[in-house]
Amino acid sequence: MIAVTGIGWLTRKEYGCLFSKINEPHEGFDTLYSYFKDKSYFSCPVKNFSRFDTISKMTCFSAALALKDAGVSYSADQKKDIGIFGANEAGCLESNLNYFQDYIESGRILARGNLFIYTLPSIPLAEASIHFGLCGPLLHLFFNEKRIPSLLSFAGESITGGETPSILAVSAEETDAICFVIKQEDDTSSGKNTGLQNVIAAAGDTYIFDEMINAFKGIV
Amino acid sequence: MMKAVSVAFDMVTPYGWGTDSCWEGLLSGTSAIRRIERFSTSLMQTDNAATVPDLKPNRDESLVMQMLSPLLKKIAPGIPSDTFVILATTTGEIEFLQRSIINGEHEAIKSRPDHLLNKIMFLSGTCGGGMIVSAACVSSSAAVLRAASMIRNKEHDSILVVACDSVSEFVTAGFSSLMALDRHMAKPFDKNRCGLSLGEAAGFMLLMSEERAVREKRDSLGEIAGWGLTNDANHITGPSKDGSSLSNAVLNAMKSAGISEKEIGCISAHGTGTIYNDSMEMKAIKKIFGNNPVPLYSVKGGTGHTMGAAGLLEIIIGFETLNKKIVPPTVNLRDTDREAEGWVSSEQQSFESPVTLSTNSGFGGVNSALILKKAETIL
Repeated sequence: MIAVTGIGWLTRKEYGCLFSKINEPHEGFDTLYSYFKDKSYFSCPVKNFSRFDTISKMTCFSAALALKDAGVSYSADQKKDIGIFGANEAGCLESNLNYFQDYIESGRILARGNLFIYTLPSIPLAEASIHFGLCGPLLHLFFNEKRIPSLLSFAGESITGGETPSILAVSAEETDAICFVIKQEDDTSSGKNTGLQNVIAAAGDTYIFDEMINAFKGIV
Repeated sequence: MMKAVSVAFDMVTPYGWGTDSCWEGLLSGTSAIRRIERFSTSLMQTDNAATVPDLKPNRDESLVMQMLSPLLKKIAPGIPSDTFVILATTTGEIEFLQRSIINGEHEAIKSRPDHLLNKIMFLSGTCGGGMIVSAACVSSSAAVLRAASMIRNKEHDSILVVACDSVSEFVTAGFSSLMALDRHMAKPFDKNRCGLSLGEAAGFMLLMSEERAVREKRDSLGEIAGWGLTNDANHITGPSKDGSSLSNAVLNAMKSAGISEKEIGCISAHGTGTIYNDSMEMKAIKKIFGNNPVPLYSVKGGTGHTMGAAGLLEIIIGFETLNKKIVPPTVNLRDTDREAEGWVSSEQQSFESPVTLSTNSGFGGVNSALILKKAETIL
């Protein structure tokens, strides 16, 4: 069956790993990187993290939590056949505005490449893939309804279709993010996983983040 | 296993309206890269891009909609209403965001691609749902391979893939800042290549299950027979040096199609004209084909790099190569790079195989490979 083996999430005030029953407060996104390093959520430094846009940072935070929750160790040097799919509400609109505003304010003389690269919605996923060594398929998706259930279904179908054995499915916004580790699982007796369909059903139709997390807590 | 076949496609490219104009332009060996006239380029790395003639940059209708509207209005009566729509683009209607910042003329939020998806679904008369696929310059080849995968998995039996991107100040300034542009014209696989030329295009492909295409008596124009999608996990803007991730995508595509490399008659390469991309591609291709050259070409010296539309444009040209048994020349190739000698040509070539390979790579390290099969081999 297709199973979810790890779920990591964070908001402005808290973060958590669902299977590991971790639910902790934090002091804000500005200090979260150091805090995560101290707690070993990042097993090695994330290169250039300070220049990442907000969505890239949120993607990396949630992916680190989800992998920790799933018990998956990683290294940028040891690449894994894991894909990464992402879907969010606004795509990269904020990064587009930042880049072009900066270009106009500088007198239309020279754009900044470091801002330009984040004008692609797939780049936050690419930043995560580089750090975590994920060399499976990478796609940013937008669904016109039921974003998270659609993302999870899409990831499950890619695994069923034999395109990759495992996928990180991420929904990262400026204020909150959630990441799921999804894989083909033969042994479901360990208890540290749940069927993908259960998670899709729990996600339901809600877009309220806290409600969704509570629904997931009810099934793991 | 359910086959995914193309039953209709069309596009507008810098060579003009229609697939034929692009095909004939490429065969003529002339480039459609020309001087940019829609914004000032005095501080850009180049004055040139491959733009579609006669688009009007300051209309309420965006450039991509000026390209898509005529194409979709023409095909709409032939699109079943239950068709699922997949849109592929990198910047879509970006001029709405540009104008919101420059003179407050529009709301930036109108540049979001979901607004564009809704317009496309309305114009095509579909109500079967839709989604957007974005993976940098692999976007539309990823959209086609996702469509084929959904058909093979029996999730949908009719899918419209729409791809578009335009040449804008937003994108040209960005690529200039990365120093990625050739000052004159892109020269893929040439010894003196020094960057890409931006281009714009829009197009669509209607894909159906073979079963539905037969039932509705639609001609098949070709089959999407196999696919692979991988990621370098290496660098945000630079490709991996050894091409291993792209070669894995090709291996996955051949496995998915159930073919060996010996059956592939020619290769449509991404071939941007940057030093690193073209070198990486040759390494990847040689990992698969060894020292047995297969005719390989890039369209980007002619059409420019049409970004999110590039994959679809190249798949359509790939079907043309299969149906006409001609490999188009690589436009602007003068002095072939040593790595590509024996593979690329500035002349058109003939070939017989009913199978071809189309590859793309993009920022973030994404790689796609699709195996295309000729129409009459399947129906």
